Amino acid sequence: MIFSKKAPSKRIFFATDIHGSETCWRKFLNAGKHYEADVMILGGDMTGKALVPIVSDGDDRWHASLLEVGHQMTGEDEVVQFEDSVRRRGYYPFRTDGDELQELERDERRRNELFHKCMLDTVERWMRMADERLAETSIGCFVCPGNDDQFEVDDIIIQAKRVELAEGRVVELGDFQMASTGWANRTPWDTYREEDEPQLAERINRVVSEITAPPERTVYSFHCPPYGSGLDEAPELTSDMRPKYAGRSSVPCGSTAVREAIEEGQPALSLHGHIHEGKGSTRIGRTLSINPGSSYEQGELLGAVVNLDGGKSVKRFVLTSG
Amino acid sequence: MAATAASNTPQENLFVRKATGLLRGWSVRDAFIYAAFSINLITLGLYIFSFAPFIPDGSLIWAIVLSGVYLVFQAITYASLIAAMPRAGGDYVWVSRVLGGGLGFVLACTGWWFILWHWVPIYANILNIEVVAPLAAILGLDSVVTFFSEPAGIFTASMIVAVLASILISLGMRTYARIQQICFYGGVVGLAVVFVLLLVNSNSDFISSFNAEAQEVLGAPGNAYQKTLEVGGLEAAGPTSLAIAPTLLLIPMIVFFNLWSNWGATLYGEVRGASDFRKNIYAMGGALIATTLVGAALLALISKTIGWDFYYAANNAYWSGLEGAPVSAWPYPGLLAAFFFDSPILQFILVAILSLWFFGWVGSVFLSSTRVVFATAFDRVLPEWAARTNKNGVPYAALALMLLPSIPISYLYAYTDDFVTYTLDATLVIAITFLGSAIAAAVLPWRRPEIYSASPIARYKILGIPLITASSVLFSVFLIFCLYKWATDDVYGVNNPQSALYMTILYVVAIVIYVVARLVRRAQGMDLKMVHGEIPAE
Repeated sequence: MIFSKKAPSKRIFFATDIHGSETCWRKFLNAGKHYEADVMILGGDMTGKALVPIVSDGDDRWHASLLEVGHQMTGEDEVVQFEDSVRRRGYYPFRTDGDELQELERDERRRNELFHKCMLDTVERWMRMADERLAETSIGCFVCPGNDDQFEVDDIIIQAKRVELAEGRVVELGDFQMASTGWANRTPWDTYREEDEPQLAERINRVVSEITAPPERTVYSFHCPPYGSGLDEAPELTSDMRPKYAGRSSVPCGSTAVREAIEEGQPALSLHGHIHEGKGSTRIGRTLSINPGSSYEQGELLGAVVNLDGGKSVKRFVLTSG
Repeated sequence: MAATAASNTPQENLFVRKATGLLRGWSVRDAFIYAAFSINLITLGLYIFSFAPFIPDGSLIWAIVLSGVYLVFQAITYASLIAAMPRAGGDYVWVSRVLGGGLGFVLACTGWWFILWHWVPIYANILNIEVVAPLAAILGLDSVVTFFSEPAGIFTASMIVAVLASILISLGMRTYARIQQICFYGGVVGLAVVFVLLLVNSNSDFISSFNAEAQEVLGAPGNAYQKTLEVGGLEAAGPTSLAIAPTLLLIPMIVFFNLWSNWGATLYGEVRGASDFRKNIYAMGGALIATTLVGAALLALISKTIGWDFYYAANNAYWSGLEGAPVSAWPYPGLLAAFFFDSPILQFILVAILSLWFFGWVGSVFLSSTRVVFATAFDRVLPEWAARTNKNGVPYAALALMLLPSIPISYLYAYTDDFVTYTLDATLVIAITFLGSAIAAAVLPWRRPEIYSASPIARYKILGIPLITASSVLFSVFLIFCLYKWATDDVYGVNNPQSALYMTILYVVAIVIYVVARLVRRAQGMDLKMVHGEIPAE
């Protein structure tokens, strides 16, 4: 059987944690065609982590700093070029002047408002891009925001024509069903969608209980990986948030609720992200669990191509580095 | 658009929100410790220095210093690769992403997997001569010393190494990291004691101590110092001789010790920039330079107190198996320094503390290999089961792929004469893998311009040439020089047809595995081209 070229009933492409990277989003939109997938799923954490101020010096001259390199720009073309390089890395550029910059440094509320605006504007633009690029295809596209994504992101995704919001519900993937949530267990960063394990277990149970397909035709897309699966190994941190032993010591930080749900439901496939360093695949009972990892800052779209055939266990898959 | 170095920290240059994974900078000290542990002066260094009498005209100290300084280019090359592609997998990831999956697999498979089986008996040899034999000798356990010098003992020591490495890895990285740190600080204390002993004592103090303790501990006849000189003495240059050509000849030998500053390369962190790149250079390059200086200083003290002629004569007598040598044990400088103590308890304590350099390091024989096995299994070249772990996270399949083949290889090493020659390829095969990474680094700006230009290293240029290209070309020149010398000069013991055939077989096996994997995956409808093929962004 292993050598037979069995046609899959459904090929999916899964990526996650692109964190605002313009390059990764564009690659994601092209991934369906590239990998000949029927369905594309973005697992969460699509918004970026940093704002980059581009400060006006007057006379159409600007300065900014990216990756600790100072940049001096003259004219609109150079500024646009710089803004593109910032977006490619997953950060949000914004134009400002010295006075406003000082104000933003002092005023956390204004800074947060600016952050939200930049993030939501970008998500809106991305959804428009998806509608354009996917208009002529039959590839399904699902997005499930993750713990780092603010709630307003959901409202924007709902408005998109060619992208479906998967958060907290069961969606049909042809003969398969997929249950999704981007919520995670507690993190040291107190992010938007995180909660204690009992609450997370309730949330997962609510969505899983809506599944009507048999386990071999079921997919879980839970942003947080299962505890102790190897897909959840992250650097151990010191009390002041530095990686211990220069990052060589890792600890499991996945969710026990996610693990229990997989052990109980035994879906054919479970898809995860959240821990960028936790790239890999593992088996939990009959379930194939995958975390493709993330290299969004390098503009590499890490992903997984999986052929679902409704058999007892998923055998045909590959982790990709696009 | 002009770019200049920004003196601010990244947090001052941009606004960062609270989001998963945002960490403060990692400690250079921690990374330095790991790099210094990898270029292990006590285990690898003292072991390979003892072969220097085979190139008697070269200056050992200058060879260490010259190669140590030059290998800063290696640190820059690897720091650049880490900065550009900072995810786990090391050489395999870099070569496969830049030059191609097949080449990446073959080089990583041979250099980080197959060849590490052959390092098990090498580690065992070091365990025997630096830990078991001296400690047993101090305790008067002559039968133990004899056993571990025989084939059965060498095989037993190999199994101890393999099992110890497996246990340390099974304990998990968290525990292993702690054990390593304790071993490092303990080992540094032991080394400091050796320095003090060699510094405050004179050559005549050593001669009388050695003559007395060699008789007491090693069963040597009287006046063993002089007899060693008579039996093993050779016309050797001084430690700081300026004979350039023979000194350069020593370098391909010395790299057995100092080619490994990049051993633990992957570090974590997001929203960082050039400071992380610099930290990597400080950690790897700093450990390289610091170990080089400490090594040179130790040899200078050995020359002053133990005597250079004696050091060479004792090593020559040991490795050449010269008849009439008064001492049959390897002249371990740690034990020689311990001889300044009259008390066997103090001797035992010093050698035991120095052995921490071995016990903190022994896990490295399998650790990186298991990571490469994982990375290749995730890429579906190796079967999925190769990356399996048990409920406690123990990578039992990857460990088995390391442990099981190392058993027959250790057996052959212990019980056959010719096989020892093949293990001398251990450094050569890894050097070829490093050469692959160096070439990948050199062409990175052109092969993967998106990745390169998005990285903090893009700003570093020398005469308009990307720093990563300049440093990797210079590092490649070094590696090619070593490969050329290994292939053409008899003194390194690896340029024989059997050795070449053996190495070729290793590469052919790796190629066969890759080709079979490609065919199987293609038959399954999962072409491995998908693993590395770049998705167009537009």
